[in-house]
Parts: sequence; C-alpha cells; structure tokens
Amino acid sequence: MDDVRIIRPPSRIPKLDLGEVLRSRELLWVFVRRGIFARYRQMALGIFWSLLEPLGLLIMMSVVFGMILRVPTGGFPYPIFVFSALIPWLYFSKAVNGTASSLHENIAIISKIYFPRVLLPLSALMREMFDSLMLFVLLVVLAWIYGFPPSWKLLLMPIVLLYLSIPALGIGLSVAAISIRYRDFRPMLALVLQAGFYVTPILYPVALVPEIARPIYMANPVYWGVEFSRWIILDQPMTLHPSLIVSLLICAGLLIAGYYIFASYEREAVDVQ
Amino acid sequence: MSSDDDIAIRVSGLGKRYLVPQRHEASNSAAPDWRARLKEFFPGLLSASDTDYFWALRDVSFEVKRGEVYGIVGDNGSGKSTLLKILSAVTPPSEGEALLRGRVGSLLEVGTGFHPDLTGRENVFFNGSLLGIPQAEIRAKLNEIITFSGIGEFIDVPVKRYSSGMYVRLAFSVAALLQSDIMILDEVLSVGDAAFRAKTEGGIKKAIDQGRTVLFVSHNPKSVASICDRAMILHKGRKMFEGSAKDALAEYLSGDYRHDGLPTDANERHRESDHADLTKKARFQHPSLPAPSHVLKELSVHDSTGAPRASFKTGEEVRFRIRYEGIEDPAHNFFAVLIHNSVQERVATLHSTHTGRPLNVNGSGIIECVVPSLMLGDGLYSIMVDSGAYDFRTRQHVSLDCVQHALYIRMSNDGLFGGVGLGEFQGTGSPSQWSLLDRASR
Repeated sequence: MDDVRIIRPPSRIPKLDLGEVLRSRELLWVFVRRGIFARYRQMALGIFWSLLEPLGLLIMMSVVFGMILRVPTGGFPYPIFVFSALIPWLYFSKAVNGTASSLHENIAIISKIYFPRVLLPLSALMREMFDSLMLFVLLVVLAWIYGFPPSWKLLLMPIVLLYLSIPALGIGLSVAAISIRYRDFRPMLALVLQAGFYVTPILYPVALVPEIARPIYMANPVYWGVEFSRWIILDQPMTLHPSLIVSLLICAGLLIAGYYIFASYEREAVDVQ
Repeated sequence: MSSDDDIAIRVSGLGKRYLVPQRHEASNSAAPDWRARLKEFFPGLLSASDTDYFWALRDVSFEVKRGEVYGIVGDNGSGKSTLLKILSAVTPPSEGEALLRGRVGSLLEVGTGFHPDLTGRENVFFNGSLLGIPQAEIRAKLNEIITFSGIGEFIDVPVKRYSSGMYVRLAFSVAALLQSDIMILDEVLSVGDAAFRAKTEGGIKKAIDQGRTVLFVSHNPKSVASICDRAMILHKGRKMFEGSAKDALAEYLSGDYRHDGLPTDANERHRESDHADLTKKARFQHPSLPAPSHVLKELSVHDSTGAPRASFKTGEEVRFRIRYEGIEDPAHNFFAVLIHNSVQERVATLHSTHTGRPLNVNGSGIIECVVPSLMLGDGLYSIMVDSGAYDFRTRQHVSLDCVQHALYIRMSNDGLFGGVGLGEFQGTGSPSQWSLLDRASR
C-alpha cells in the first residue's frame, strides 16, 4: 500500500526512468517473444524466411558483382566475401528500421496502457538480434563450405553485433520518437540507409576507396562492424586506424542524442499519433 | 475532512491541452492553411497563441476515498477518456497534479495488444503481462481464464478465427485477473452478451466488495448509478457536478448541467417545488424534430383547492397548470404532462389527446390538467411537459416544444397504501379490497 504514483506535467529536462525499465524486464521478454512469433506465424515457411531473404540477396549480389562485374576481393570467394559483410549490415539496418518504427507500430497499445515506452525499441532490437544470430549460424556453415573453418574468433561475433546495436539504437530511438510527429522522417531514413549500404564496404573491398577519402570513409561506425566480421570469418587482415576512435565517438553521440530525443518526445506520442 | 491516509486518489487542478491550430483556419477555408500546418509542426516557430490550443480537460479536482467506487459520466468529447488516460499515465497532463496511492490497474480497453495471428493462449500471456500481471500468476490461473471465458479447446487457435464474442470474452477474462488497489475502468462492462455481461458485472462487484478503489467511466449513466457510490459529470472538459451517484444520474439525465446560471448544488435543484420558470429550462431536441418553439413559459402544481403545492399523498387530486405564450401554429393542439421516477422511467402519461379532442390554444394562456387521483408510490418524481401538434385523422404526432425536466414533485403513501407500502419502482397501485370467499377446512 506504500505504492504512490504522482502524475504531473512533464518536466523540462527529458529523462527516462531506467530503473523502471530494469524492473519491467519480464515484459521486455514478452514483447520480444511476441515479436518473433507474430512475424513468422502467418507464413508457410515460417522462420525460414529470415534465412531465405538474405540468401536470395546474396545470390543476386554474387551473380551481379561477383560474376558479371568481377569486383576484386583480395582473393576471397565473392559470395562469402559479401555474406560476411552483409550479415552485420543487415543486422544494423533492420535494427534501425525496427526500432524506428516500433512506436508507430504499437500506437494502439501505447494509447491504452502505460509501460516504459523504451521497451518497444529495445524489444525490436532484440528481435533483430535473434534473427541475426540464426543468420550467423548459416554464415559459419557457408564459410566452412568455402574452406574457412570456424575458429575461436567466432566467439567475438556477438560483440560485433552489440557494437552495431549502439549506433542502430541511437538512430532508431531518434527516428522512432521524431517520426511520431514528423512522419517525413521514415522515408528519409530508408534513403539514408540505402546510401549507407553503398558507403560501407559490403559489395567491394575498402582497397577500392581512394586513399585520401579513407579517414572519413572509415569514420562510419558500420565500417568497423563489417571489417571486424570479415576478420572473424575470413581472417582478412585488419588494420586499426585513428578513425576507429572517431567512429566510437560518433556511436556515443548517436546514443546520447537518441536517448534525449526519445525521452523528450515519447510522452507526447499518444497525443500526436 | 477525512484523514489523508483514507484518500486513494487525489486530483487537483488537472488540465490537458492539445495544439489544434487548424481550428479557426477551417472557418475561412479560402485562406491558405500553410500557417496552420507550420504551427502544427513547429509550435516554437510561429508563436502559438492561446486560441490555437484546445483544452480537453481543465481545472478538474476531486478525491476518491479508499474503497470507494467513483463514477464519471459525460457526453462524447466531455474529457472522460482524457482524464482516465492521464490517471493511467498513458498521456501526461498539461497542468495540475494527480496522486494515486496503491497499485494501479487500468483497463481502458479489453484485449489491448491482442495479435490476430497469435493463439488465445499466447495473447493471454502478452495481454496479461501488459496489464502488469506476473507471468507465473497467469500460468497458474490459465485454467480459470479458459473456464471463465468459455473458450475451451479454442485457446490454441489464432484469435482471428474467434467470433467477436469469444474474442471479447477471452480479453475480459484476462482483465478479470487484474487485482490492484485502484482499478481504472473504462466502459468495460458493455461487452459480450447478456449472460457474460452479468458475469463481468459480478466480477466488478466482487472487486468492490474486496474493498478496492474503483474509478469507473461510462456513457451509460444507469450503470454508474447502480455501481458507484459517488459520481461526477464532466462537460466540455470541466467538472460540472459532483455528488451521490443517484443525484448525478438525475442531473445527467436532466441535462441541466449544460446550462449556466443554475444552482450548482444538486440538493437545491433536485427538490420538489410547486412551480418552475420554463423559459430557462433545457428543451428536448432531436434531429427529426423542428427547432423548439419555446412557447412553454411556466409550470405550477396545485392541490384540489387550487393552492400551490409540491408534495402529495398517493391518490390525491393534483392539478398541473401550464402557462404558454405566442402559439402561432394553428396545428398546435395538445399538451402533455409526463411523469418519470428517479431512474427516468416513465410512470405516468397524462395527455390532452387522451380526451379524443384537440385543444384550441392559439395565442397565450394557461391550461390546466386535473388528475383526480394520482396513484404513485413514495418518491421524488420529475415532471416533463410536452406540447405540439397531433393529427387525429392520420395519427401523426409532432412535438413542438418539450421541457424534459420542468420540476419535481414528491409523493408519499401516507395511509392509502399501508403494510409494505408502495415504492417508487413498484409501478402504480390501485386501491383494492381483500376478502375471503371460501375456506376449505381440513
């Protein structure tokens, strides 16, 4: 009976109650489970779609860029060269999209029940992580077939996904909150992600990028996710560069910005819809 | 005042505003609305003036004691849902403060978050968790839910295959598990068929008996009156009335709360009186009717000697006098006095056309209706006055001016009906003699 809830107009300084988020972790799991079940329940092939879709992409890319355009890969078979970069990229872009649309998709729930709103983007992120882990298993098998047996370095892969979660969450939180009011941000996001796909060395190796542009090119946080992944799977040599520091700073900046933007917009989500 | 500990909910000066800049632009549709759009999207850019805001709720204060059942009634758009949303923390207020003591469970909707592709069982877990029920508890009570909802083997079928009745019953059965100190309920009674409704009402009564504090909102003021201890009426975002649930019902049905300049004290308004000025009273309006002609000016009640009186014994003579002015329509030919009990059920219809003749009432005058013996039980009755045109040939009936709640009169049995007496809800009594015709001896 000592539970007291005081409801007041929102304070000027946006703040998320992270203790409350921690206390609601059971609900977070329920959200994640629901997201995973609901996504595949209605499909005949169910959960296999999460594998088939990237496999289809992989085949198209291998044909166009590997067999027709013959992009140099530094000696690696093109399919596995692409796939080892595609998986971190797909995780990043799906995580951004999933978190960015999480508020909008659940507006019916938000407008009827109170719970920490940040559970929605968090659960979207975890749902994508689940998908990516399955893809990761597929990647390991594929790499093995192409003659790259698994090594102890595979254990580092979750760290790569966690690292990519930081910029994904930062961008996703901002867009989720802002796009409730300004719907314009979601088509914009699709465009930006498309551009991001090309400025990240997925289809081609970084060696093709002019030397002079590399410091900026390598400040892209996803660049490091992709390169780490190739190092883990293909043992492609990895050169650390001061740009890594810049990209870590960008990650931190994105997350902080996402936090504040989300905290200041989440409360009006119900009113604007 | 009661001690602070007794208060479960305290709301003070609560208000909620929305930015609606398009509101006046709409009146001037030729003008470009880019300014309004700009204001909507960038409130800081063009200074949003006070008129750009719409107050859905303003300056609402009330207290609910622990264990009390408090109702909120009001028309569509009166701010009921906004108030509940603020108290459920779904949306923040713009001003004021609310304090809720105890675990709050809020049901603004049953079946929130039900996903059509997921099975009943999966949805039960999700919906229950959203309501704040621990998973372990849901698991333990799953059988109870299945039985209560009557879903049976359909529990493992996706809910999109359910009939709408099954869907709602399952949703409500989860909600029934919610056991918090304060329950916020919005219209949840009005689901399912009659049998299930009775079940849910039983569930709510049980919650009340267990001493929970309940905040109950409904469009149906009768269910508020039957469940709640106290109630308030919201109108255009403001609290217009607060009192016992019964008074609130009478006030709500009278429509008086919509008018300014009336005494705010319900007891003052809901007291018997021997006359009423009808010019200020609310008119009954309906889209199918012409606008009220406002010819009804005054109603007075008199006894058999013609003296004004407001309280009568059952079976006494009662005379109603209606003063009217400015009847110009030659078709205007009837008056009627309609009597309702405190839950607004009609208990008597006194109609001038019952005599079989039209009244010639052009111009102004006073018409008297004499009831030689008014057979109504104990209680306070509301008098409605109607008048209009009736065509005796085609039996067409058009009300031209109707005051729904002109005044109240009080009836008391006082000897005519002894024994168990005759109450307000027991219909009309008729004087009756009782004698033994035959006694079979053993």
